[in-house]
Amino acid sequence: MSGSSAHDALPPSVRDSLDALLDCLIPPSRDGRLPGAGALGIGRYVAARLGASAAVLLPGFAALDARARDRGGAKFVDLAPERRSEVVAAYASEDPGFLPGLIFHTYAGYYQEPAVQHALGMEGRPPHPKGYTVGPDDPRLLDPVRARPTLYRKA
Amino acid sequence: MAHEPVDVVIIGAGPAGATIAWSLADTRMKIVCLEQGDWMDPAGYPTTRMDWEMRRFGDFGLSPNSRGREADYPIHDADSPIHVSNFNAVGGSSILYAAHYPRFHPSDFRVKSLDGVAADWPIDYALLEPWYAQNDEIMGVAGLAGDPAYPPKSVPLPPVPLGKVGDTLARGFNSLGWHWWPSDSAIATREHRGRAPCIQLGPCIMGCAQGAKGSADVTYWPLAIRAGVELRTRCRVREITLGPDGLADGVIYYDAEGNEQRQQAGIVILACNGIGTPRLLLNSASSAFPDGLANRSGLVGRNLMFHPYGMVTGLFDDPLEGYKGPTGCCILSQQFYETDAERDFVRGYSFEILRGMTPVSTALWGMSGGRLPWGTDHHAAYAKLFDRTAGMVMICEDLPEPHNRVTLDPDLVDSNGIPAPRIAYTLSENSRRMLDHGVARAREVLQSAGARETFAEAPLAPAGWHLMGTARMGVDPETSVVNEWGRCHDVRNLFIVDGSIFVTAAAVNPTNTIQALSLYIGDRIKQNLSNLFD
Repeated sequence: MSGSSAHDALPPSVRDSLDALLDCLIPPSRDGRLPGAGALGIGRYVAARLGASAAVLLPGFAALDARARDRGGAKFVDLAPERRSEVVAAYASEDPGFLPGLIFHTYAGYYQEPAVQHALGMEGRPPHPKGYTVGPDDPRLLDPVRARPTLYRKA
Repeated sequence: MAHEPVDVVIIGAGPAGATIAWSLADTRMKIVCLEQGDWMDPAGYPTTRMDWEMRRFGDFGLSPNSRGREADYPIHDADSPIHVSNFNAVGGSSILYAAHYPRFHPSDFRVKSLDGVAADWPIDYALLEPWYAQNDEIMGVAGLAGDPAYPPKSVPLPPVPLGKVGDTLARGFNSLGWHWWPSDSAIATREHRGRAPCIQLGPCIMGCAQGAKGSADVTYWPLAIRAGVELRTRCRVREITLGPDGLADGVIYYDAEGNEQRQQAGIVILACNGIGTPRLLLNSASSAFPDGLANRSGLVGRNLMFHPYGMVTGLFDDPLEGYKGPTGCCILSQQFYETDAERDFVRGYSFEILRGMTPVSTALWGMSGGRLPWGTDHHAAYAKLFDRTAGMVMICEDLPEPHNRVTLDPDLVDSNGIPAPRIAYTLSENSRRMLDHGVARAREVLQSAGARETFAEAPLAPAGWHLMGTARMGVDPETSVVNEWGRCHDVRNLFIVDGSIFVTAAAVNPTNTIQALSLYIGDRIKQNLSNLFD
């Protein structure tokens, strides 16, 4: 299942919840240079990585909604961002298996995005074919090593 | 189906098989090499795509057990603290190696005489030196002459650049007064034998899309094929067969469609490295050799040596541009290489300096270590990690111990139904002490270089790259499998040219020595062709 089809197969409400959750995991940076993971569309990557097992998210999102209503009287996606984080933290403590896989895929998808790598000071491209420039080196660094006696044993 | 008999069949197209294929090609003998993998397509290597980092969890992963490639065979290594990392393709594990390419030291061939442990090799550094030199030129070794840790030697190509990581750690070594030197690397730092120069892509360990890294598919194989060697891919050998005269007379293998094939040959050469070679010998048991072919000594599969690795990562305040440059080749230190009676272990280790982590690796490393939270503090925490790491590994000499061994698993088989290897390995107390010493010294280096925190892992579980000792060399048939030029004591036309013939492991990456041995053994075969089996 491609990223698009796996994501599209999720119910719309779950897609919205997934985006909101990913924005909790990696929110926009305070200076605005880095987008949130949900807004960046990492949900498609996460859904693709989970594939058919994306369905295991459904009970978790239902639980997030239930706790959101308990705490804030609204669905998870309708809470303010800081309240969403509180709900996620509370649920994660009750169900320790819910977040780790999502975090893994979210981090992996987010940090391979060109826009994110640009914001980190990179060029936002694969290493090949342009490569990188390294050096030049300071040849004087080796002077003390050259001055040493030999280290190897004759045998 | 039976093929026309050939003079030589080589099993395995990795560095050892490629090298001896080229070496023997000038005899004009009919030579066929059988390789269970296929040619790799550099255009498909991970660094050509944005998702390259995550492919180390998939088709470019370290373990053949999880990579999902048809060419691989399973290895039962779950009970070992070090897991096997190999690769099956034309070029073998050099497709994924870092190309760190040091030679052994002279003392590595005289371990028993000098230090009273293990056994001496039946050959020495001086004998191998011309073959090291020839191999350095063909593989395209980059480095710098004058290293006080080695006897004088020339190096064909200029060294890979240190970059900020190397510069920073070199200053750390200098402040401690410890040895370091630019790494010998099988990387074309300028155009060499038709290979394009290195452009500092970074992850050599996922295949070199530039073709600058000296993997055997781009070094020896084009030369060997041009000289007339036939390379058959996707051919998995099941067993070596014996003729009525007690000599090996060929192999039985499965082709890409799973059909059984027969290849007769006058000489059989094994080049499957420290796991694959004993596996094939053990799978070739017969009434003449009920415990495995060429195994009258009982040593086939025994004395398995890895190099126990430890890794220490330093976290620095300033950016290091660590995502640029060959990830595994920067500088090395052999300050603690030779035996020192003041230490609580015998023999020693090398330090090899890695570059820094890339964006996704940084995030996942931060996550796994609890250093990168989700939520509002995420970006601030990531900024303190990204491009601020430098890694050091220590590569420890593993001593041969008979209980560390390769056997055949009673249940596990590959996709052709051939019994798979099973690894029994325990980390020795000597290795444990060496790792502890290395971790402590690595922290000193990193702190001297300015690291504000250090993080250690030892032994490094997935680091079973170097597979040695399981069919060792020696002059006594009672205590070795092959003689001093790779010929099996028990089967005079059966040769082994890979890491399994190592007597001891040294404390450096083995590929240069494997290939130098292949050149040397090839030369001995050629010198003795007229009376090879007398």
